[in-house]
Amino acid sequence: MEAVTATGLVKRFESTTAVDGLDLTVQVGQVHGLLGANGAGKTTLLRLLFGLIAPNAGSITLLGRALGGPGSAALDHVAGFVEEPSFYPYLSGRTNLALLAKLDGDVPAGLIGEALERVGLTDRAGSRVGGYSTGMRQRLGIAAALLRTPRLLLLDEPTSGLDPTGARAVAALVRELSAQGVAVLLSSHQIGELEKVCDAYTVIREGRVVWDGTAAQLVAQAPASAYALHTSDDDRALQIAAGIRGVRAGRSPRGQLAVAVQPDGLDALVLALGDARVAVRRLELLVTPLESMFFALSGDENVDELAPYDLAERVFAGAGADS
Amino acid sequence: MSAGGVAVPGGAAARPSGRTLDQRVFATYRTELLKLSSQLAVRLLVLVCAVGPFAFTALLRVQSGTPADALFGAYVHSSGFAVCLVVMGFAGAWGFPLIAGLMAGDQFAAEDRHNTWKTILTRSCSLGEVFTGKLLAAATFAMGMLLVAMLSSLLAGLILVGGHGLVDLSGNLQSAGRSLLFTLVSWALCVLPLLAYVSLAALFSVASRNGIVGVVGPIVIALATTLIDLIGKGVWVHVLLIGSAFGGMYGLFTASPFLGPLLVTSLVSLAWIAVCIGAAWLILRRRDFLAGSSVRAPTWHAPLRVVALTTAVVAVLAVASNLGPVGITPQRLDAAIGATFNDASLLQQRLIGRIAPAGAKLDVQPFCNRRGAKSQGPGDWLCNVYVYLPQLKSVPFQRTNVEYDVSVRYDGCYKAQSPPTFIGGPTMPDDRGRSVVNPLFVVYGCFNVL
Repeated sequence: MEAVTATGLVKRFESTTAVDGLDLTVQVGQVHGLLGANGAGKTTLLRLLFGLIAPNAGSITLLGRALGGPGSAALDHVAGFVEEPSFYPYLSGRTNLALLAKLDGDVPAGLIGEALERVGLTDRAGSRVGGYSTGMRQRLGIAAALLRTPRLLLLDEPTSGLDPTGARAVAALVRELSAQGVAVLLSSHQIGELEKVCDAYTVIREGRVVWDGTAAQLVAQAPASAYALHTSDDDRALQIAAGIRGVRAGRSPRGQLAVAVQPDGLDALVLALGDARVAVRRLELLVTPLESMFFALSGDENVDELAPYDLAERVFAGAGADS
Repeated sequence: MSAGGVAVPGGAAARPSGRTLDQRVFATYRTELLKLSSQLAVRLLVLVCAVGPFAFTALLRVQSGTPADALFGAYVHSSGFAVCLVVMGFAGAWGFPLIAGLMAGDQFAAEDRHNTWKTILTRSCSLGEVFTGKLLAAATFAMGMLLVAMLSSLLAGLILVGGHGLVDLSGNLQSAGRSLLFTLVSWALCVLPLLAYVSLAALFSVASRNGIVGVVGPIVIALATTLIDLIGKGVWVHVLLIGSAFGGMYGLFTASPFLGPLLVTSLVSLAWIAVCIGAAWLILRRRDFLAGSSVRAPTWHAPLRVVALTTAVVAVLAVASNLGPVGITPQRLDAAIGATFNDASLLQQRLIGRIAPAGAKLDVQPFCNRRGAKSQGPGDWLCNVYVYLPQLKSVPFQRTNVEYDVSVRYDGCYKAQSPPTFIGGPTMPDDRGRSVVNPLFVVYGCFNVL
């Protein structure tokens, strides 16, 4: 069963087409990653899914119910947030949650406290939200989403502003909810976080879907991944790599060796180095398949023609700027 | 952070769905009440409504002067009900627009300012339910403020001044019971125009997405209304203004009560409520709920535009204020002031211990002329009241002229004040030697302008 079905979505803002004939399907129990560069249309898509803006064309079905306007009944059991979670700054975190619970028709007693505890905000629950840090507001947003006993979670950059521990906790929470049958659509610029939790991905560019598939399909179809390679004889390793199909090797400006390999090229390289009695002392993943795929789909350059370190640097630069 | 204990689909802790419409509206209403009650400005306003009338009354007690320009103002030292009605008069001009602005003017704009439209509209409530809940909460708080102000001013008047009866707008002394009834009815009749201002504030808030416009807008409109009320002799524009209903109830305070202005201005208030709410809803339902660039930080640009627009509208209304039948004419004022002077004279006689039968008629002939170039309309008038006193000897009567400076409002209510040459000073000794208000020194009255 599909938790989200969007068909032929179009959204224009004056002369700009933010979403252009976009189709999206998220299965129940699936964690679905939404990727795209700045201005690709991710946030607009999430706003459309929440009914906060009306599409110029196309239709949206959430959990089997057609989405109407803002506050549609189709949003029952749909939770999450778009852009940063927003609350009333003059109220405490607990009061904000109580207020939202009232809008939902109240929640079982104690659930607000549980939600606050789950996101680690119990100690600050009585403080005004106006004094919260970005990360605390993010955690409060997740607590607010949990109050709705969601069957579909739409999360926009849920780890934004969180420290690494908090980000890992969010990833664990998402996996746990998914295991309980909750569908999650996750937009994030932290591709590494997505890779840990997502079962499927949709990459959008200029409002259109440019790639859509499962994690396994992505690994199979991804262009070269990049690795930092430390060997007992880097010069010899460079010579060997140059002779293997699907492997490109080079040195970074600081002289470190890096290789860009197709999905099946890494095994061949390591075996060839072993045959040549070149010891592999460390192999460090610089660019994951998802990152290279994202870079390939969202940029204009040909990933397969980039030197490994250039690929890594471009990917990191792109990922850092993305939101 | 963990999902332990989070309800799974269909699990025992799953939220019950399928709430009825009124349950959902009630839920949004409760949340809006909670939000309003948490705001410092609202709490301060409640405090002002509760304490302000006591402070005002205490201030009146320690000084000899009276706010005589306000209806019943000359009686604030003698009747607690007069205090309550004077407070109501001030509230109608400025207090209620301020209350409406603070209750409803920032309700919608605040969601834009805090970027929280997306927060509430992604819960289990529709835009219509949020809209309804907000309006109901604002109306509840506004009426609550009115109730607090009424009770406070009534208590302040009764405690600090006393529960003596009120001299009505025909110059007759009413019993304490009737005075209380009149007072309570008057405050109750302020509800409709107050709700009209609440609706207007909500419209400003929705249309501008700017809290300053929403809060200040009704006050600016009240100021504009006050200015327009000073000019023009036509009835139509004055009756159609949003604050007109604050004067509609005074017809009940006369010896021959007239309900026409009350009914018409109440209908006008209802029309304002319907138009403002309808327009606000049309604007709200057509908008997108974007964040970031769409959030309008409160600036003074929008308020300045509103002031400019209001100025233009006031100019148009000022020109149009002569349209329609003329409400305030010399004939109507003559008739009104003659009758009121008659009853006030009888009251004066009774106060000093003379017998003046109810319904007695003095031989009184008033002649009123408007000061300035115009001969009709609200403003300053000069009324010569000729009193013909019967004589015992050959001269059949003695004519005495009492000159009153009369200030007439757009709604036909007036204050007439005379130099103390004929009618005495502002106070006089009664038959038991106590100082009481001289009912002829300042005369209040109202006549039907429709």
